[in-house]
Amino acid sequence: MKDKVWMKPPFGVGDPKEVEATPDVLTPLMVAGWSQCDPPAHNEEVKTDVHD
Amino acid sequence: MSTTRLQEVLICFGKGKQVDISTAQAAAAMWRFTKLNASLINPKLATENDADEYGKGHEFPTVTYKTAWDVGCTLEKYLSAEIGTWAICFALGKVVKSGGPNFVYTCNPLIPANGDAAELPYLSYVEQIRPGGGVVIDRQGVGMAVESFQISVGSGPGRANSKISVELVGSGKVIDTATGITMPAATAEKLLPSASLVLSINGVNYVSNKNIVSLETGWKNNIRMDSGFFPGSGFQTAGDGSTGAIRGRLEFGNRQGNLRFVARFMNGSDEYTKLKAQTTGTADLTLSYDTNNSLQLTWQKVAFSVVEIAETDQILTVAVDCVPLYDSSNGILTAVGKTTVDNICQ
Repeated sequence: MKDKVWMKPPFGVGDPKEVEATPDVLTPLMVAGWSQCDPPAHNEEVKTDVHD
Repeated sequence: MSTTRLQEVLICFGKGKQVDISTAQAAAAMWRFTKLNASLINPKLATENDADEYGKGHEFPTVTYKTAWDVGCTLEKYLSAEIGTWAICFALGKVVKSGGPNFVYTCNPLIPANGDAAELPYLSYVEQIRPGGGVVIDRQGVGMAVESFQISVGSGPGRANSKISVELVGSGKVIDTATGITMPAATAEKLLPSASLVLSINGVNYVSNKNIVSLETGWKNNIRMDSGFFPGSGFQTAGDGSTGAIRGRLEFGNRQGNLRFVARFMNGSDEYTKLKAQTTGTADLTLSYDTNNSLQLTWQKVAFSVVEIAETDQILTVAVDCVPLYDSSNGILTAVGKTTVDNICQ
């Protein structure tokens, strides 16, 4: 399985995305200003009133 | 009293990057190497005096003032996966680390127009001779950056046929006694010998054709040293204006890549044809120790600028200078270092 990394868009505008960590995938992103970032924290909404 | 041989000099420097230009690194973030050259960081103090001032009654200086500090050195080494990966990370500045325990560092030059910094990552560089009770030298350059690296690959089986030279420049900040650094154990390096070369330039595989003789390639940041001194850039001793100014930033200038190679010239050699047509293509070179320790440089687009037919050991050869060109999608250079060492330039 290929390694993946999280990348954030230039100028902090937009959402991070997870991509394959290969030069072919990373190079155009890095040239366009994307940079490596930590995986986003899970922001799943927890609802206590959900019924089965 | 014993003399001191320069072979005694121990060096270690930042494997990771400093948090900022003026904060010295601790030993835990450093690694230790041997080197091939005698260059030391030798802090240089620029001074000025009052010779030109009126009111003294004569033209002679009566007092000197510390103006500014400079620190720098060149590091020459046999090329290894460790030093090669370190060099591309700190010289190009944009790094993506993946994998583990076999790590892959994918590096590209910073592009400020797309939001990247104009400053390169900083590191500390320590030199020691007989640290401890009989100390001769113990000093640490703080806020160093990689000005350039140059890789040379030649023909022959020895280690000298695959080398790297790295030039470092500094903010000027230096701890010149009692750094407090305990030299880490020497790094076990995985050499990348000339015999491992895989090379393709502008559509020709020069290794499978068995006609490559030598090559050189590198990168130079042309760091704007003078603009590192700005109002508020700081002093050797923080808050003490009499100790001489240091740089508060090291920004790259007009960066340049280079690639030149010598190959045997024979029937079918088309370097001159490509020169005349200004044919462009990628240049891709890889040197390996094994699958997990290697260095790959990909110039995304090159054209030939000089093609000269000459001889090497009485064999007809062609020497080619390439101009690395910027590709709108892939930029100018992608460098990939593979090593089992974590946290390089992190």
